[in-house]
Amino acid sequence: MAGRDTNPNFMNGVPELLILRLLQQEEMYGYEIVQAIRSRTEAVIAVGEGVVYPVLHGLEREGALTARRKTVNGRSRIYYSVTPAGSHRLADLSKTWTNLATAIQKMLTGGQYEEAIQ
Amino acid sequence: MKKPFNELRERLLRAGVPPRHVRRYLTELADHLADLRAEEEHAGRSGADAESAALVRLGGMDDLFKAMIAKREFQSWCVRAPWAMFGLAPIFLLIGAYFVACLYLWLGWKIFLPGADTPFGGGGGPIYGFANLYFQAGKLYYFGAPVLIGWGIGLIAARQRVQAIWPIAGLILISWIGGTAQIHASRTAVPGGLGHISMAFGLWPSIQGIPDGLFHTLVILSLTVLPYLIWRLQKAHSLRSTQ
Repeated sequence: MAGRDTNPNFMNGVPELLILRLLQQEEMYGYEIVQAIRSRTEAVIAVGEGVVYPVLHGLEREGALTARRKTVNGRSRIYYSVTPAGSHRLADLSKTWTNLATAIQKMLTGGQYEEAIQ
Repeated sequence: MKKPFNELRERLLRAGVPPRHVRRYLTELADHLADLRAEEEHAGRSGADAESAALVRLGGMDDLFKAMIAKREFQSWCVRAPWAMFGLAPIFLLIGAYFVACLYLWLGWKIFLPGADTPFGGGGGPIYGFANLYFQAGKLYYFGAPVLIGWGIGLIAARQRVQAIWPIAGLILISWIGGTAQIHASRTAVPGGLGHISMAFGLWPSIQGIPDGLFHTLVILSLTVLPYLIWRLQKAHSLRSTQ
């Protein structure tokens, strides 16, 4: 039987996707990242703000992000930025999510989605 | 650090997150909390209200805890494989330390006592000056190695809040090996009179060997287990007093 990709958890990868997308534009620290997600998703995606750090640390460990300590306005903070490996990861995650969103939209519109967006 | 973070730190360490990851996580959470508090105060809340609102926005301690331990890559080897960390690794370290001790002794024998039958002072008369210092330092290293490794086990176990069973088993093992180790040297064992040094571990010592070996084992065990147990008692006491 041929292998087939599955989506066991619809939220799997969402925080990573959002974080990588934000950090591709500029380096940020944790608080800035959470506020940016909140404002750009119009607070649709809102989680306990502290849980962003394990995601950031995990991405850093995988080599998708780098972290550096920087002092701004007298406060020392850890800024994160995307590595080339992180850019590849972002491209993969974006493709996966675009396909998934299209498929779900098709389901919701009863197969009329492609016609609706053309 | 605030009390909620103290509790979180203890829970994370006990769950097996390495201390350096815990430290960084809590530092970033504390910075984030300060930013949230400033934002809430800027929005017109009083100090206490701002603090409460900031804590709610940061996330519950359970969520913060689960988010970190869900990432298995942040689990330390003390939790993943305690038998390796507190059993195998100390044994390999001790074997390595004893190999260095044998090499050190052989070099001293070759340099300072080229004519002696053994490097232990037999037959060659007393040793003075730098040679004496050299051999005393070697002896200190040889007897100190299991104690130092035992302290290392205790330190790692304490930092990671590991259950006492594994480190104590490791300390007993190291004390036993350290207490029953014997070093032998002979110039007639190999042709050419190069000198031969070997080690034996009386893991099952004869009746005659038990008193010395047992005494040495108990000395090492006392020197390593006691500081660890005292630390555990102090920690338990301080946790009780902060609750």
